[in-house]
Amino acid sequence: MKKLTSMLLVFALAASIVFAGGSGEAASSDSGKVKLTFFETMTSPARTQYIQEMIDRYEAENPNIEIELISPPYEQSDSKLTMTLNSNQPLDIIETRDYTLKQFVNNGWLRDLSGYIDSWEEKDNLLPLTLDAARTVDDIPYLMPQFFYVKALLVRTDILDKYGIEIPTNLDEFYAACKELTSKGNGQYGYALRGKSNIFKIFDVLIAGNVGNINPENFYESNDGKFWLDSEAGRKALAEYVDLYKNGCPPDSINWGYNEQINGFVSGITPFLIQDPDVFSAFEGQLDPSQYTVVPIPVGTSGYRYLEYGFNGPSIPVSSEHPDEAWDFIEFMLSPEEGAAFCKMYGPLPVHESVYNDDPYFSSGNYTAWSEEFNSPETIFAMYPLDDPKYPGWAQLHETTLQALLLGESTVDETIEIWADYWGY
Amino acid sequence: MRNRWYLLMMAPGFILLALFLYIPLFMGVVMAFQNYNMFNLTDLHFIGLENFTAIITDKTIDFWQILINTAVWLFFSLLFQFVLGFGLALLLKKPFAGRSIYSGFVFYAWALSGFAIGLVWSWLFNGQVGLFNDILMKLHLIDSPVGFLSNPKYAMVSVIITNIWYGVPFFGIMLLAALQSVPNELYEAAVLDGCGPVKQLFSVTIPYIKPTIISTILLRTMWIINFPDIIYAMTNGGPANSTNILATQMINKVYKQYDYGQGSAIGVIIMLLLLIYAVIYLKLTNANEDNI
Repeated sequence: MKKLTSMLLVFALAASIVFAGGSGEAASSDSGKVKLTFFETMTSPARTQYIQEMIDRYEAENPNIEIELISPPYEQSDSKLTMTLNSNQPLDIIETRDYTLKQFVNNGWLRDLSGYIDSWEEKDNLLPLTLDAARTVDDIPYLMPQFFYVKALLVRTDILDKYGIEIPTNLDEFYAACKELTSKGNGQYGYALRGKSNIFKIFDVLIAGNVGNINPENFYESNDGKFWLDSEAGRKALAEYVDLYKNGCPPDSINWGYNEQINGFVSGITPFLIQDPDVFSAFEGQLDPSQYTVVPIPVGTSGYRYLEYGFNGPSIPVSSEHPDEAWDFIEFMLSPEEGAAFCKMYGPLPVHESVYNDDPYFSSGNYTAWSEEFNSPETIFAMYPLDDPKYPGWAQLHETTLQALLLGESTVDETIEIWADYWGY
Repeated sequence: MRNRWYLLMMAPGFILLALFLYIPLFMGVVMAFQNYNMFNLTDLHFIGLENFTAIITDKTIDFWQILINTAVWLFFSLLFQFVLGFGLALLLKKPFAGRSIYSGFVFYAWALSGFAIGLVWSWLFNGQVGLFNDILMKLHLIDSPVGFLSNPKYAMVSVIITNIWYGVPFFGIMLLAALQSVPNELYEAAVLDGCGPVKQLFSVTIPYIKPTIISTILLRTMWIINFPDIIYAMTNGGPANSTNILATQMINKVYKQYDYGQGSAIGVIIMLLLLIYAVIYLKLTNANEDNI
């Protein structure tokens, strides 16, 4: 493995040398065209094909621009992008994710987009959250968010109707409904708990509402600068979560990842699921839309729901030799029409206010839940401490310690102490 | 003069090896002593043994637990892969109708991706809808589903069973090839000397194919230690660290935490462990240039 990793590094270097030759040649091609390089990271065959079609549309309108799309396999895309940026190879547009943003900024790889955004005619049409997300690091927009990923509660209404259970409107009702469903026996459970692979993002929205007073700038800090789980309300909320696992979820769910969660929901074993809107494509051909609905995350005893928002979008690296042309393509890609069409194909939430008002697709049906979440005074959006060097290690520590707690190998107090220590409280 | 030509002819091979093996290896080892973290590459410097101490003294992702898990994973995977693979090779040695087709099916597992195997077996072991639970329930051997992958008691056993299934064909292929090279005259002589099948196995077959056994066990040890795919797909090292081995932890450090320094440090630890193992193993098995 060691050798393999090292060899991959050399391959990446060798590949970057090849890329360098390619782009240099193309930039000065006889056709006089400006050649841009677009590095896609959230790749999938359908998504890559869609972006290529978008590029074709743009090139048809702008015959002097040629865009080369680089789309490595999903699992390797972030590390390949990092390697390419680290070797200063000229890239013009890259897809930056919320959790890679700080890393790229720290290494001095991204351009400040303030000038471009300020003069962009769509600037006032963006959701307030969009510009907040853009300015995540050092209050400077180093990326232009293109998609949002916000959690909502998916409910199998057919299963709830069968047992005569109402859709929960607050967290206490949600916990009670999960336990009531589980008490019916016959392999029926309540909640499709996720036990592995980035569980904290789902776990937090189920805990935070019952604690409250959370700093929107840092999901793990209270407004008075403390680790909010390390409080009476925090301990109670965590104990309730353990109780939810023991009495409202399949025991096996401690090892459930995304696929098992979806299977639990589709099969009806667990009629409650918390997920992002891009989950719908996973139901295709398996669930009839009449069998389920989507509602906002239930509010907690604090009177609020605390939601985190995942996002990603294009950035322009400092290595780009054509930043103006790159921004012109970003403006095209992020126009309300192109942005909305891309979201429909791919599932996440658009970043423009007008899309939610004008396009019935995003203001009706299943998307109503997200529209309500965005507009509700009970919703507070909180950011993860993405700029903290400890953030990348948090997922594994959280997963391991939470599993130990759910298995009864540690106590609520011990777990909270480990977490508070980790974050330095 | 002849010697100089000899060196020149070797040069391309050596340059390729250096470029694709020794230089990356050296770079990897150097990285293990640096704070090589993708989170901030502007502050790259040597930090001595800090990466090693950080891994070894981690209180929550317990390194000693990971070492024990690695040893258990290796020992039981290797033992059963070898025994079953040897048995398979002995069974396939005798000709029977459709042997080649049957061998093709049996050896097919070795051609599959470890990650894909992990995904398939994680559904077989699933605590809700898994095939194994279904069979055990129908046979009335259990009353309620067993959490094969969610209970730390069974999780390691489950991933090892999967790995055994995957690795048996390797030993089967290698040992079958070796068995077919044993001259029939030896068996005929053994029969004349009054040897039964068991005595033939231990006095003729095993001594004759010992070099293959030694080299395949050594190779397989290295591969099993360096093989995170199945565990990564089935349990991600959980629940609660119970199936986390050095190779999966290295993946976590590099791809999830972007800490190439600590990831490389784990790589160096694996390399040292394998080096010690190889030296002791080859000494114990009296391997020398004649038989390996």
